[in-house]
Amino acid sequence: MNKRTRTLATALVSTLSLALTACSTGPSGEGSRGPERKNPAAANAGAVLGGTPQKGGTLTVLSNQDFTHLDPARNWVMPDMDFGTRLLYRTLVTYKAGPGAEGSELVPDLAEDLGTPSNGAKTWTFRLKAGLKYEDGTPITAQDIKHNVERSFSPDLPGGPDYAARYLVGGKGYQGPGQGKHLDSIRTPDARTIVFELHTPFAEFPFAATLPTFAPVPPKQDKGPQYDSRPFSSGPYKIESYARDKQMVLVRNTHWDPKSDTVRKAYPDRIVVTMGLKGTQIDDRLIASSGGDASAVSWAQLRPESISKVLTKADVKARLLAESSSCTEMLQMHTGRAPFTDLKVRQAVQWALDREAIVTAAGGPAVTDASSAAMPGSLFTGGKQPDTLGIPLAGDPEKARKLLEEAGKPDGFSTGLTVSTGDKAIGEAIQQSLGKAGIEVTIETVDPSAFYDTIGDTRNRTDLVYTGWCPDYPSGSTFLPFVFDARFIKEKGNTGNQSLFKDDATMKRMDEIAAMSDGDAANKAWQELDGRILAKAPVAPAASKRRTLLVGTNVAGAYGHTSWGGQIDYATVGLKDPSKSAN
Amino acid sequence: MILYLGRRLLGVAGVLLAIAAVTFTIFYVLPSDPAAAACGKACSDERLEAIRAHMGLDAPLWRQFTDFVTGIFTGRTTGTGQYALRCDFPCLGYSYENSEGVWDLLVDRLPVSASLAVGAAVLWLALGLTAGVTAALRKDTLTDRALMVGAVAAASLPVYFTSVLLIYGFIRLTGLLPYPSYVPFTSDPASWAANLLLPWLALAVLYAAMYARQSRGSMIESMAEPYIRTARAKGLPRRTVVVKHGLRAGMTPILTVFGMDLGGLLAGAVITESLFGLPGVGRLFYGALTTGDQPVILGVTLLAATFIVVANLAVDLLYAVVDPRVRY
Amino acid sequence: MTTTTTPPPVHGGDGAWRAVRAELRRRTSLKVSLAVVVLFALMTVAAPLIGALGGWGPEEFDKSAVDPYLGGLPIGPLGGVSAEHWLGVEPITGRDLFARVVHGAQVSLLIAFAATAIVVVAGVAAGIAAGYFGGRADAVLSRLMDLTMSFPSLIFMIAMMSVARDANRTLLMILVIGLFGWPGVARVVRGQTLSLKHREYVDAARVGGSGPWRILARDVLPGVAGPVIAYTTLMVPGMIATEAALSYLGVGVRPPTPSWGQMIAESVAYYDTDPMYFLVPSLCLFLTVLAFTLIGDALRDVLDPRGGRT
Repeated sequence: MNKRTRTLATALVSTLSLALTACSTGPSGEGSRGPERKNPAAANAGAVLGGTPQKGGTLTVLSNQDFTHLDPARNWVMPDMDFGTRLLYRTLVTYKAGPGAEGSELVPDLAEDLGTPSNGAKTWTFRLKAGLKYEDGTPITAQDIKHNVERSFSPDLPGGPDYAARYLVGGKGYQGPGQGKHLDSIRTPDARTIVFELHTPFAEFPFAATLPTFAPVPPKQDKGPQYDSRPFSSGPYKIESYARDKQMVLVRNTHWDPKSDTVRKAYPDRIVVTMGLKGTQIDDRLIASSGGDASAVSWAQLRPESISKVLTKADVKARLLAESSSCTEMLQMHTGRAPFTDLKVRQAVQWALDREAIVTAAGGPAVTDASSAAMPGSLFTGGKQPDTLGIPLAGDPEKARKLLEEAGKPDGFSTGLTVSTGDKAIGEAIQQSLGKAGIEVTIETVDPSAFYDTIGDTRNRTDLVYTGWCPDYPSGSTFLPFVFDARFIKEKGNTGNQSLFKDDATMKRMDEIAAMSDGDAANKAWQELDGRILAKAPVAPAASKRRTLLVGTNVAGAYGHTSWGGQIDYATVGLKDPSKSAN
Repeated sequence: MILYLGRRLLGVAGVLLAIAAVTFTIFYVLPSDPAAAACGKACSDERLEAIRAHMGLDAPLWRQFTDFVTGIFTGRTTGTGQYALRCDFPCLGYSYENSEGVWDLLVDRLPVSASLAVGAAVLWLALGLTAGVTAALRKDTLTDRALMVGAVAAASLPVYFTSVLLIYGFIRLTGLLPYPSYVPFTSDPASWAANLLLPWLALAVLYAAMYARQSRGSMIESMAEPYIRTARAKGLPRRTVVVKHGLRAGMTPILTVFGMDLGGLLAGAVITESLFGLPGVGRLFYGALTTGDQPVILGVTLLAATFIVVANLAVDLLYAVVDPRVRY
Repeated sequence: MTTTTTPPPVHGGDGAWRAVRAELRRRTSLKVSLAVVVLFALMTVAAPLIGALGGWGPEEFDKSAVDPYLGGLPIGPLGGVSAEHWLGVEPITGRDLFARVVHGAQVSLLIAFAATAIVVVAGVAAGIAAGYFGGRADAVLSRLMDLTMSFPSLIFMIAMMSVARDANRTLLMILVIGLFGWPGVARVVRGQTLSLKHREYVDAARVGGSGPWRILARDVLPGVAGPVIAYTTLMVPGMIATEAALSYLGVGVRPPTPSWGQMIAESVAYYDTDPMYFLVPSLCLFLTVLAFTLIGDALRDVLDPRGGRT
């Protein structure tokens, strides 16, 4: 999933919300001043807060926004996918419920296993568990899953993952089941078997099958665009009420059978999501954690101005989750336009960039790590990014100036940078650090809603853009090809390859790796390719954010799930003492 | 009178149509593309075109506008087949961001903004008029001075500052009030008021100060009118003179301003709602702006304009009641 | 709106200014207000010079003044007040608050004054045209005023600012704020012109063979000057507040340019962790608005004893 969806979600309500998340073990700071200090928020990484929950009670979720989409055909925003697939609908396959690396392991959900490939991984067959039911007691069928996959093609239901559209035979030109047309490449020989025919081998299909696209929607309940406000439940909870941007109340789905589900624990009796609150007020309420707020968790990330209030109190700090978001952010240069056609100029930018200032702008080392590679740490062996470039964290303006001189630009030059409104402070940090090397930067801040359209217009966009990428699942194949393959470049609506990097050697290597059958060898190869690409300097690695979430004192079983961008795993979160929760 | 009313209503319709046209033109030449925003990441050109057609964005601008205007009265259907969306009178379009009709959204948020506006208005009228009239009747005394100095200072306080002060004092420091979150009046009036008290105060401080200044001036002026002297000379009690004659005439200009203010606020106090996190029309509008949700932007603008125009009309009609000199 | 008939104001001239000076001597608050306005006006004009006194540029980062491990909070008491940073620093960036508030004054006041100028010029022109020529011109202009006033102005301004992304933000803000302000002035002027139109001295000028432009310039314009000046002074605070509101909502100036509204917007959330950061721009905004209101009040009392309430 790319940053678009995530940023959209972050910015729905508060324009200044800084997305605060990142890799748990980035390079430690060679701080420019003072003795090296330990990351004060990393203590809870990989831990479960509050022990094992008790059944019952009401869990409150305090949110600064509404869900982007809960319709499974349209849900493609990390935390929203967590909420949808953990509470309301089940998918063929899902991620294990557990902190740290456990969270990237696959387990069967609706299906009996992780799927059976045949025909050289071009045909995938899944068999559903027996006795699965919807909230009204009617059985969940393979046809319903087919229906939802088809729905994801409909222009009436935009916004969802496009893996089905990218791989299924006959997907091109198909416009969904609205007009009564169906896809022949999804076969359902009986109510419990579903077969997908792909046009290219896709060994990682089980990972894709964790996406909400592969959740069941019964055609009888399908109300088109309005389904978004009332998805029909196949999970442990069903929607009692949903007032957009105000409040959602979930109650138990009595037809969900815990014996059929190895992942979801469904501890609370009710889950109430209060939406549209002010970010700082959510923080203040959870810091105080009094009354009903003790049984509350935060949906929105900790605001930068609240960080000091949390880190200075040990008891509050102990309730802070700061799991890696598995996304990295980069300063991407338009490699097709002068002066960035010159390798030396691009290297000068890499050397000039003050990642320390960027980290501070993104909330400080407690919630953000400086990044030294394109791919996030989670895609590297040992979960840690290598530092192949060896540039000091605070940058080296002298060296950058020298590189500019070698490039024939001793007096520097001026250029433009586009950042999303939420990253304004980061933009200013970039502006300041490149300025020291003689590169004068003008900042364009763009609303998150228009951000990807603006930078996707390759002809009119600024030379520099600050954006990132999140892998859809833990594999280099969902990162490097999206970000550095020139064949993905479009003149308008360009996504991913924002440096417009065109390098034949890189593309050749990517094709070779994609064809590898040995997963471990492929992973190693991706990791090594990352360093080779950085040496050609299409981007300057910048930062990797953590998702910082506060939980109340009565909350148990909470951890940030690595596969959901560090959002709290809603499959297992609950309360220590249900009797203390409100209503 | 009937003729006058008819003429005015016709004018109101004309003004609204003009505002709709201007808004439409401005927002539909926006550089951001709602179809692209809805499509999400990795959107193929083919899919983008399909979505654009579905949203009706492929039609020429004038066509979209006439569709919009006729749609208000006759309703519209967008999309085809099983997923067609029917939007009935009064159809203001469909918000793809919120997956809800614009009219339904407005109806849903309006109670919040209206609660905020009306509550604040009651407060500021009570505070402002009392202060203003008191000051006017004790012109040039210490009370007058103190009241007016206070009013000038309060009117100069930025609303951000007042709000933060209130939140800190009443919530963080003393815990006297809950963090504002809207509770409908119908479900729990006490909690409704407790939650809205701070936003009311924040708005009322500002407006009360302005109204105090205004009503003082206008009261002093009307008390100097010859008919007041006559009334006094007739030996009418001071109270009657002040309330029945002075206040009545003095209120005319206040009424005008009040109509405008209330009309404007009903459609959402963007900043106050954002400071207190109230899910009103103002926040709906602001959210729509950041996500490029054009149907909502258009809907809120029209709603706000309607309130202002109707408030003006109501005020003009009220003149006849308040000010005996006015006849239609 | 309900300007029935406005009695003749003191005409702009020696008498009026003498009265203003007398008023100034009488009221201490006015002296203080004037001092405040002069101070901020000076800041506006000489922002780079005054800002340079502190030794920091408004866009210059100071990493050593903030603690990254506390979310970038300033190091030291009162938001990092020190000999180096007179009013402390901005959290996260460590930018000097003194430099920013001084440069912010420039942006905020420039926008407010320029928008006021537009409003006055457009409003006076439209008001005189409507009032003096009457007939069709009056009908058209009055309709236009009604229409403009029916626009939900703040909502419209926000929307217009967010539409135009690439434009010069400062200029755009001036134009947008000006666009919705002129009908107020136009109404005052129209009413005033109507009452002046048939004064004896105007009639005399007309009989004496003066053309309409000459009459407008020599006889009508000075007559409307008084109320307009008073009205305008009272309008400035509104303009400053509007700029602040737009910048607060994130559709104002472009970073890293400071303006008071932008500074308040970013500092509101720090009100308890770094109160100094929030207080500095808020107080500046408060003082300026207060000063202009007091001066406007005084001017109105002298120049337009019964006007100023449209």
